[in-house]
Amino acid sequence: MSDRSNSFFRYLAYVIEIIVAFVLATTPHLLPELFGAKPVLTVCVALTAAIFEREIPAMIIGMVSGMMADIAYTDSIGLFTITLTIVCFIVGYAANNLIMATFPNFLLYAAIAVGAIFMLYYLIAFVIPGTDDNWTYFTNHLVSRMVQTYICSIPFYFLNKFIYNSLTPEV
Amino acid sequence: MKEFFSSPKIKIFLSVLLVLIMLSVFTRNVDNNVVSTTLNTITYGLSKVTAAASQDQSDGKSYEELKAENELLSEANRELRTRLIDYYSVKEENTRLWKFYKLKKEHDDFTLIPATALRRDSNDEFGSFTIDKGTASGISTGDPVLAENSLIGWISEADAYTAKVVTILSPQTSVGAVDNATGDTGIITGSAKFAEDNRTMFTKLNSEHKVQEGDIITSAGTAGIYPKGMVLGEVIEIGYDTYDTSYYAVIEPYDDISKVVDVAVITEYDGQGEILKPD
Repeated sequence: MSDRSNSFFRYLAYVIEIIVAFVLATTPHLLPELFGAKPVLTVCVALTAAIFEREIPAMIIGMVSGMMADIAYTDSIGLFTITLTIVCFIVGYAANNLIMATFPNFLLYAAIAVGAIFMLYYLIAFVIPGTDDNWTYFTNHLVSRMVQTYICSIPFYFLNKFIYNSLTPEV
Repeated sequence: MKEFFSSPKIKIFLSVLLVLIMLSVFTRNVDNNVVSTTLNTITYGLSKVTAAASQDQSDGKSYEELKAENELLSEANRELRTRLIDYYSVKEENTRLWKFYKLKKEHDDFTLIPATALRRDSNDEFGSFTIDKGTASGISTGDPVLAENSLIGWISEADAYTAKVVTILSPQTSVGAVDNATGDTGIITGSAKFAEDNRTMFTKLNSEHKVQEGDIITSAGTAGIYPKGMVLGEVIEIGYDTYDTSYYAVIEPYDDISKVVDVAVITEYDGQGEILKPD
């Protein structure tokens, strides 16, 4: 297979992955709600794909995944789109220039990224507007969502690693 | 690092970020904005299919589970229907009892048994009827029977579950009565002449009586058969009986006895069976 077709199929695989994650996350009764929340699977896809890609493709994957997450949860372009675009761009740069794309590094960076994304979401969507009982929301839903998203990103890491290794042009 | 910040990649990144921020700002709180409409349109078909597939799963329940749930709901439905019937019965009884609540409040010594007219004796022109309570409910022969507004009769026969009521329209009835306004006493007894018009007679008035039209007649309670002070009716006419050589008054009860359905039987009251001396 040529380099160009390898790249094409790799990106196609990401697109399919994002769509499947979106469907899994938004179809009623498909995924169980644990402790009042479901994982945001499109975030998992973006974070795990970004670590294997360069800056611009990582940024685009982050942007598309973020849009899907925003559509699923807020019905407009917003926080997830912007934060995932930034995070994936930085991760794409860091993975190619500063850190190795290894599993321990991934675990560390995913923990920081997931925590940062959801805490920013909590801050902007609940704390700043002064929503009543925002702490209850945090403890009863958001913590569970963060943990589940983080855990779910692990299988996506191995899936994307497999895709990357299988469909990357040999240097 | 310096090269990175001056590279085309960072320019592309910042441009994209700027566009996204602008889109985010301009589309926030705007219904049917272009971006969300476009994305929703793209994902609509997919969502429709997945939602339909999800609904087909019927919340993931198997046929056996749904069947069991259906049976459970049917059983619950039957139970609720039964309760509804009970509710209507209780409501109806409550309506009936409410009529006698005031009476019971005024005479707390009364033991009242609410009853309903089961059938009327078509051969009896004095309005006798049978009620749906009998000796099993504590009713016995001679007990007074009340309608909503007045004393209307007494129990002439009683078996376990029914009892026959002879009304004050009947000549069989003999109730010691008193005119509340004048203190004149006499006997309430029925007459074939007046029964048809739902009227009875206040007889044995002495020649110096002061009974007038409009006076209210109540039971005297002297014989210990009827409680004292039960309203019997209102005087509408005064007459003289040449055969008996005494005055009488025609009394109209406050209830239409031929149409009475709900009654109460007084089975116990203070002074029952005691013969009192007239005041």
